[in-house]
Amino acid sequence: MSLKKVRMEEQELICKVQEGDEVAFGEIVAIYKNKIVNFLYQLTSDYEKAVELAQETFMRVYFKADRYRPVAPLSSWIYAIASNLAKTELKKMRRYNHVSIDDVKNKYAEGLSQQEDRESSGMIKKVKTALDLLHPRYRIPVILKDIEGFTQEEIAEILKKPVGTIKARISRGRTYLRKELEKTPAFANMSGKN
Amino acid sequence: MEEWHLLTSVQKVEAPEGFEQKVMAQLALRKRRRLRNRRLSFALAGACASLVVVLLAVNFLILTPKSSPDFSGLERDVPPGFFPGQWERSRTIPITETINYSGEIRDLSHDTRTVYILERVSDRADTKTIY
Repeated sequence: MSLKKVRMEEQELICKVQEGDEVAFGEIVAIYKNKIVNFLYQLTSDYEKAVELAQETFMRVYFKADRYRPVAPLSSWIYAIASNLAKTELKKMRRYNHVSIDDVKNKYAEGLSQQEDRESSGMIKKVKTALDLLHPRYRIPVILKDIEGFTQEEIAEILKKPVGTIKARISRGRTYLRKELEKTPAFANMSGKN
Repeated sequence: MEEWHLLTSVQKVEAPEGFEQKVMAQLALRKRRRLRNRRLSFALAGACASLVVVLLAVNFLILTPKSSPDFSGLERDVPPGFFPGQWERSRTIPITETINYSGEIRDLSHDTRTVYILERVSDRADTKTIY
């Protein structure tokens, strides 16, 4: 199905939601639930919190549907809501500085990951840890770009920032990420080989 | 190697089982709560409006003083300049005082030598003075 057709369908769905259609809302939840939960998990590193925030995101999608303007894709709007909720939650939790992946006790994540074996090897785990060390100002654009696969223009739309700012934040975020990973001997050796 | 390429391989999670059902249940709950809050706010607004109406009625029916007697006609009979400060007329409080003159006049009808001197007291020109 073409991207344009998908967007058209999403526009129809959100129009129905604006009229109070719960079936259409259920379809939107079904489309975005995994993406939003994953996005929030990457931001908070807490699966239960991510699920809770995802639920709140969808509540807002339903109750604030009349505020949606079809100038941007629906995905951008939903991610913007999720991103704002996550930022507020991070401020509340005062977890800007450091969250180690080792601290995360996540019973749901067990068995959900397809990459568990690779994570156990350590490298990806270290990348994730380094990502968690980033300030949300850089972490959110990096996650949206490198994990969620949005374009810089879409990220600018989601975060309501100029494209130039987003480019700079992604670049700076990657630089910080590299510096952080270079502190890891294994990664330094790996980089040296490549 | 670009380290951010590894980000595509980081652990990805999915929504838990029954996530949609939970969301729909929460939606129903929120809707009910919103409806109840709306009803409460309407009830509160209605109660406030009723209170205002009651207060206005109490103010109008009980607390408002009875209408004072109309003394506006008195000033017409008063010669001009009676009130020393015309500009303060609005501040003048009219006072009527009933006086019983019966005790002031002695009845001398039994004395035949009594001469009555009558004084014209009416300011109406067409009234004849009767002696």
